[in-house]
Amino acid sequence: MPQVLNQSYDQLVEKAQVLFWTRGYKGVNAKELASCLDVSTSVIYNKFTKDMLFMDSLGYYTTNYSDPFLKQLRETTEGLDSLRDFFYSLIDALLDKTFPKSCLMVNTVVEMRNANQEITDVYQRYFDTLTNSYKVVLDKAIGLGQIKYPEKRDAYAEFLLGVIFSMSILYKIRAKEELRTFIDEQLSFIE
Amino acid sequence: MRYKEYNTNNVLEKCIPIFWEKGFRATSIQEIVEITGVNRFSLYHEFQNKEGILYNALKLYQKRYGKSKFDILKKEGDLATVLREFYLSFLQSIEKHQGCFYIHIGTELADEDPKIKKLISDYLSSLESTLVERLLKENETKSNPDFYARHLVGLFCTSMSFCLIHSEKQKQHHIVNGIEVILHKKINYATSS
Repeated sequence: MPQVLNQSYDQLVEKAQVLFWTRGYKGVNAKELASCLDVSTSVIYNKFTKDMLFMDSLGYYTTNYSDPFLKQLRETTEGLDSLRDFFYSLIDALLDKTFPKSCLMVNTVVEMRNANQEITDVYQRYFDTLTNSYKVVLDKAIGLGQIKYPEKRDAYAEFLLGVIFSMSILYKIRAKEELRTFIDEQLSFIE
Repeated sequence: MRYKEYNTNNVLEKCIPIFWEKGFRATSIQEIVEITGVNRFSLYHEFQNKEGILYNALKLYQKRYGKSKFDILKKEGDLATVLREFYLSFLQSIEKHQGCFYIHIGTELADEDPKIKKLISDYLSSLESTLVERLLKENETKSNPDFYARHLVGLFCTSMSFCLIHSEKQKQHHIVNGIEVILHKKINYATSS
């Protein structure tokens, strides 16, 4: 039965990104996608394709989840203490399912790797923002005298880039207190 | 008995790449039937369901592939060098599937399936105790081996996900940097950058 599309494309992306986030790209077929979006499968085949919705879901994720989260981080003033609070709030978001299934970008890296240039570009932008945000906070930590070896700033930023990946696995198997201790100890490497 | 075990492992061996490429959810029993040449009835009889195939495939992976990589950690030689070799052994470009099957499946299912959660958790614990054994032999880490092992496991999780999108050079760089930050030790970058 033909269906009138009474939702905007942005609304469709908003629904699709939750599905991709929890089930991955390959784990969603056209039928499931159509049913989640409440459109007919012909819309998925002919108008808004799975690939298109997926790529825009990554964009939605960056704009609505990671960018604001990182902007907040960059605006903090307490250096390493702010970094610890940032990771603690990440743990909370993972455990209380504000982030329904780890980080969409991490999931995508593992599932899709460098499937095409478009996706590689998305990673690049995401990791650049993440690295720069860490550098901003590390600079503040240096300003506060919290870091003995400021020349290691870039090495520390790269090390911190890994935290979101290890947390994405560990939060599924470890308790909250263990995760917090893990973060405290990770930050103790920054000296 | 031996014959059957051989066959079972043969079937599971063929399932590892398909779960790896498509993920668990997107792999259908029909595809498993086609790839293994075993009919649906026999598969269900042997493994009960698709989950059962995956659990056993993970166990086989550790036995056939993971264990020999874990053994790298038992090798003589400089700690940082051995660690680097260990991490990179999962990321060789000659291997069809880079990374670690456990981390790959864990990313998809460890928060949904308690048995997968247990398998991943046991796998990482086994890595952690292998690391502890090694770290106990080193002057710089023997006073606090659990601490270092915990974070080297963290670096393992990172390397098996983040490094999948990296070039050879970036992989080496990220791993060497991680080892260096954790061990507080300057490693010679000459071969890696």
